[in-house]
Amino acid sequence: MKFQIFQGMDDIGILGMNRRNAEYIMRYNARARFPLVDNKVLTKKLAQKFNVPTPEIYYVIEHHGDMAELDKALEDHKEFALKPARGSGGSGIILFVDRKKEGFVRQSGATMSREEFNYHISGILSGIYSLGGQEDVAIVESLIHPAELFAEVTYRGVPDIRIIVYRGFPVMAMIRLPTRASDGKANIHAGAIGAGIDIKTGVTLTAVHRSKVITHHPDTGNTIVGINIPYWDSMLVVASKAYEMTGLGYIGVDLVIDINRGPLLLELNARPGLQIQIANNSGLLKRLRSVDDAFSDSNLEPEERVMWVKESFKIT
Amino acid sequence: MKVKHPATILAFVLFALTISIVMYRIIWLKYPILPTVPGQVWQLSFEASIQPEEREIEAAIALPTEQAGRVIAEERITSDTLSFNLFQEGANRIGLWSGMSDKEAAIITYKSTLLLRPRRFPASQNPTLSTDMPEIGREETAFIERLGEKWKTLDPQQRLKEVSSVAGGRQEAGGVSREDMEAWNKLKDKHGESGAMLILLKAAGLPARSVSGLLLVRGIQTSPTIWVEAWDGQQWRDLDPRTGQIYGDKSALLALTTAGTPIVHVTKGHILDTRWSLERQIMSKWRLHFERIKRSQHILDRWSFFSIPEEFQNLLRVLFLVPLSALMICLLRNVIGFPTFGIFMPVLLALAFRSTGLMYGIGIFASLVLIGYTARRGLDRFRLLLVPRLSVLLTLVIVCFGLFTLIGGKLSLRALMGVGLLPIVILTMSIERFFILIEESGIGEALKTALGTVAVAVITFFVIQWEPIQLTFFVYPELLFAVAGVQVLLGRYTGYRLSEVIRFRVLTG
Repeated sequence: MKFQIFQGMDDIGILGMNRRNAEYIMRYNARARFPLVDNKVLTKKLAQKFNVPTPEIYYVIEHHGDMAELDKALEDHKEFALKPARGSGGSGIILFVDRKKEGFVRQSGATMSREEFNYHISGILSGIYSLGGQEDVAIVESLIHPAELFAEVTYRGVPDIRIIVYRGFPVMAMIRLPTRASDGKANIHAGAIGAGIDIKTGVTLTAVHRSKVITHHPDTGNTIVGINIPYWDSMLVVASKAYEMTGLGYIGVDLVIDINRGPLLLELNARPGLQIQIANNSGLLKRLRSVDDAFSDSNLEPEERVMWVKESFKIT
Repeated sequence: MKVKHPATILAFVLFALTISIVMYRIIWLKYPILPTVPGQVWQLSFEASIQPEEREIEAAIALPTEQAGRVIAEERITSDTLSFNLFQEGANRIGLWSGMSDKEAAIITYKSTLLLRPRRFPASQNPTLSTDMPEIGREETAFIERLGEKWKTLDPQQRLKEVSSVAGGRQEAGGVSREDMEAWNKLKDKHGESGAMLILLKAAGLPARSVSGLLLVRGIQTSPTIWVEAWDGQQWRDLDPRTGQIYGDKSALLALTTAGTPIVHVTKGHILDTRWSLERQIMSKWRLHFERIKRSQHILDRWSFFSIPEEFQNLLRVLFLVPLSALMICLLRNVIGFPTFGIFMPVLLALAFRSTGLMYGIGIFASLVLIGYTARRGLDRFRLLLVPRLSVLLTLVIVCFGLFTLIGGKLSLRALMGVGLLPIVILTMSIERFFILIEESGIGEALKTALGTVAVAVITFFVIQWEPIQLTFFVYPELLFAVAGVQVLLGRYTGYRLSEVIRFRVLTG
């Protein structure tokens, strides 16, 4: 079925929601493997096996009873991030930078009382933030310190890099920059900026904020276009490896760059969104199809796949 | 040719199944193809109270007969303590109520639903002469011969017109003399109006008979009307014996007996009161058809949903449309791209709107979400865990329902009292979802989703409220297979959603 009104999207090779679900997620992502990416604790364990660095876990709260032990686990850490293991889109994540008698100091400067802190953990455990509403566990892990480079184009929070990996090929990437509107979250729906990245060079291309094309950060006023993202090649390889890690053929790999530890795998997503196409001003379907056209069955190593992608998806 | 996807094959198997059952019904079982054309339907009810004679009653009442152009869809008879028998007497259909009664008066009733198709007259009937022709003496024979001589050159239709004008007291044509008119008036005195008219028609050489029946007008008639039918060589024409007028419209009369049989004939007991009432009704052809084929022996007819009690029928009629609503949701979500709370929430809302009406339904939904949202904001301060928190919201929803019902009761607004059918649990979840959506994605996104939900519910509501669709699915439940087929096909739709045209418009420029 072809409709005139869809011709424009078809020409650019935009991937629509229906096709993403039917031809990519349902076809390449076995349901049984979803827990590997939906649960961050499992993802971290998996990453460890494959020597992929992730933010360090300080403590996992599985039951309300575990909260008693929390103080001991946090003895040496004033800074940490509290997040639900099954959360999505950055919801339920709180970043803490210090501790006082009254409670924990959030990154925003506000103090969260002990009571509020415990309530938040209860909320996480009862599944408020989890994808399907199931019970969840809370993770306390190391706080990310973003690379200096990003300070100019970030309002609080940590920018993260999303790479779509299809059959092990990192086909498209963007960087998500928190804004005041997104409340420091790197969540595009919440109002973060999405900037496309040239796969070959790791340089930012175009940016989108609230479905408008922009060139400068609305809060800091600095230019977003042309930023050279460090560790680009190694990030592509890490993303590519996620295919071997999970066995999922169509995933979104989220990475952050820590000023001390370099690129870290933050989380994986088995249902990555489609906004990345807007950020890149380019259709995803076109790239997925060129992978299929080149390889009906590939047994390349992650590094080889990255090489192929960098050759094939050049920006001219 | 490209090999079809198994899902496509499944869909076409479902379509084929549907088509074959529907065709079977239409071709072999003669189901009407256009189910919803309203027929011309009259509701006839007859009521008589009869005083027993020595505790005994025997009354014969003429009932309508089925004939071309007239279908009896439904008949109901009550007989008090009497027994009821039905028998055929010539062309007439007689109901006989008989038995003992201790009461002062026994009430008997007869009700039927008649479908009249005015354009389908009895094509041709053997013109038999009336058996209630008055006795013909010398005087009458002379009259018949005299007029017969004058009219013998005319064709039957013209002769009928002559009869009409003589009976109406008009003598301008056909050479009818003053003497003839005087003779005619004498005949009327002697034999009564209809008897005289039968003689007049015999003079014209036209087969005729007197008929008793009812005038087809809305209202109550306490006694039947008598008129005369004459065969004009092609069809029976109705004449008013008092005025001689020829009735133009065949459907203006409802004949009950011919050949002088009385409509009400009580052999034991005394009639205290009789009344016939006629009401017009709009009824779809399906219904008529099925009232009639209830007696059918075909397996598909006997297993028809029309054979279950009415109150369940109404429920099923709506339930059969739920899959269609789900199909609509598939379309609206996957092809158009409406955002909605939950997947089937709009269907449940639409079903609930049936008892509240659209405006009240939307109003109740909106105010509940608003009240719920406000309460949810307040609850946030108390830091309740998820399940207890949802329970509190559920309680709040129920309390609101109670209040709506009370207000509805005070204002006598039935619509407000119908709230009980709103899907409470899902509504509660919607409130929570609405709150989280506002917190996470902002008011804009949440309102968009809420509006999307209502829009889909309204569209669904109009579809399931549409009676022709309801009836069609009820008569042809196999259409559900076809619905499933379309659902399967939609499940394979991998094209763009209409909403994506807007979403990606920055790219297409």
